[in-house]
Amino acid sequence: MHWFSSLTTFFQVLVNGVFLGCMYGVAAIGLSLIFGCMQIIFIAQGAVMILAAYCIFWMVTFTPLSAFWGFLFIIPVFVGFGFAMYTGLFQRVAKTGKNPSLLLAFGLMVLLEHVMAFVFSSDYRTVQTKYASTALGIKGVTFSVNRIIVAVVAVAATALVFLFLKKTILGKAVRAVSEDMDAAALLGIRPEWVSAVTFSIGISLAGVAGVATSVIFPFDPYFGFIFSLKALIAVAFGGLGSVGGALLGGVILGVLESMSAYTIGGGWADAVAYAAFLIVLVFRPEGLLGRSSAEKA
Amino acid sequence: MAVKLVSGKTGWAIGLIFLAFFVIYPFLVDAEKSYLVYFLYTTFIYVALAQGWNLAGGYTGQVSLGQHAFFGAGCYVTAILWKVKAIGYLDPVGMILSGICATVLAILVGLLLLSKLRGDYFALGTLGLGEILHVVAINGGHVTEGPMGISLPSYAYVSMVYYYFIALAIVLVTLALVLLMTRSSTGLALVAIRENEVAAAANGVAVLKYKVIAFAAGAFVTGLCGSLNAYYTFHVDSAGAFDLDWVIIPILMTILGGAGTFLGPILGAFILSGIFELANVLMPQLHPIFSAAFIVLVTLFLPDGLMRYVTGRKEGILRKLPFFRAISGGA
Repeated sequence: MHWFSSLTTFFQVLVNGVFLGCMYGVAAIGLSLIFGCMQIIFIAQGAVMILAAYCIFWMVTFTPLSAFWGFLFIIPVFVGFGFAMYTGLFQRVAKTGKNPSLLLAFGLMVLLEHVMAFVFSSDYRTVQTKYASTALGIKGVTFSVNRIIVAVVAVAATALVFLFLKKTILGKAVRAVSEDMDAAALLGIRPEWVSAVTFSIGISLAGVAGVATSVIFPFDPYFGFIFSLKALIAVAFGGLGSVGGALLGGVILGVLESMSAYTIGGGWADAVAYAAFLIVLVFRPEGLLGRSSAEKA
Repeated sequence: MAVKLVSGKTGWAIGLIFLAFFVIYPFLVDAEKSYLVYFLYTTFIYVALAQGWNLAGGYTGQVSLGQHAFFGAGCYVTAILWKVKAIGYLDPVGMILSGICATVLAILVGLLLLSKLRGDYFALGTLGLGEILHVVAINGGHVTEGPMGISLPSYAYVSMVYYYFIALAIVLVTLALVLLMTRSSTGLALVAIRENEVAAAANGVAVLKYKVIAFAAGAFVTGLCGSLNAYYTFHVDSAGAFDLDWVIIPILMTILGGAGTFLGPILGAFILSGIFELANVLMPQLHPIFSAAFIVLVTLFLPDGLMRYVTGRKEGILRKLPFFRAISGGA
């Protein structure tokens, strides 16, 4: 256990944590949306992210485009991918109950991981961008340009999803279905259609998180699972089903990990994160920012 | 219970015939080289793990994703005790101690989590527990020997037959435990909790007590399996002991066979082990892909499990097969 040597070090660790947390946050928003609408914990989120990261890897390898152009095609492609996954698989299974859905998500995760390992090999891949070594500094605290771009994208994605939910008629339908599926169906909203839309958005957010992952971390086909877990923890921090809470939960988790890695040691950061997760689940299952269940009812 | 599975003499007779075969078979062949003996050994472990999950997950409806915590705890307790020479090779005391440690862990965590959390939250909480123990094992210093894990004296190995019969004994203990629990008022309480927790509580069922009992009994069996696995592999490391396969494969087997039934997990374990082994022999490279695709197919087409089709909860072709009619007591 050692403490921060200076204020600059403290801020540097804090900034690193916030940037790390933004990535957890994007993955967590997708997870939270899917949970809110369909009550499914989509544990394959991380595997989908890694699939997007591979897309970026091959794009950068075979074309002269920079990695961030990937957002342009990843978002529509993954919306389609999510739509196909929902109509092909989850729509059918969702009717039989929650446990089969959880299991299906797990099966999909393992399937994606192994197919990627078979097709792309299990080697670590990295994506280089021309800003990789560029950094801005403010009073000794450095900000890598890559991470700034990722953070901006995270905030933009959250804002877009938030606006979609609050300002569009479809977003209103999504919120209605999350609150009470039967009542929404009575008012003429088709829950399957709304679920398909939500699922597609969730998957495309996983794609966005995947693009961000590819430029920051070296990855292999199995790297996604830990991200699924981290996204789950972030969702639990923010409250299951809340969008703004998910991003904030991700940032809290990132800062917690970064701080504990610095003060206690890198190996323990995960244990601290899981312990915090258990504590939140037991004492504030509605999330740190969520309304209590009494207020909801 | 809604469906009576092994009713009357037919079911018991078939069970005893299988048992007699399992007891005699290793003496008929060279157990060290026999593929079937190895296959049955692994399948026995999976039967016990699947039934262990079935108690809380199937009968009581409390889905735990943290069975690897209990399996890994069993592995590590045995490995550490053996390392410091507190117990010996294939020591029953050590195995039972491992099981008890897993049970105590389950009771502590169960009281904490089950009193507060329901459904998905409980599943997530138990998953978190497994991952915490995983990290603790990596960072345990000289007690757990870090990520490299504990190597055990493999010269102690005597014969595959020992492992085979210990695994068979664990299965029998497990099945006896499940029968005892489900054929008594405990079983009624467990199913009542699964079907409607609030109504069960209103009718005087001590919900938390029974949930914890089911969870802890499953953990005991899982801890036993972990202990035997430590003796079998002679090497315990964090990645192997806390592998998520120890959670997912037993759950899949239970769901394939029929969660909340007695025969379901047994049937599921044999079928799935068989398919995995077959895939491993026929196409070793594609084996994981094939297994994962199988998980997806099972959840798509058999979400209620084989047993429910057999026993008439769902109409199906299987019901018409004489073998299935016999084991389900002509239901």
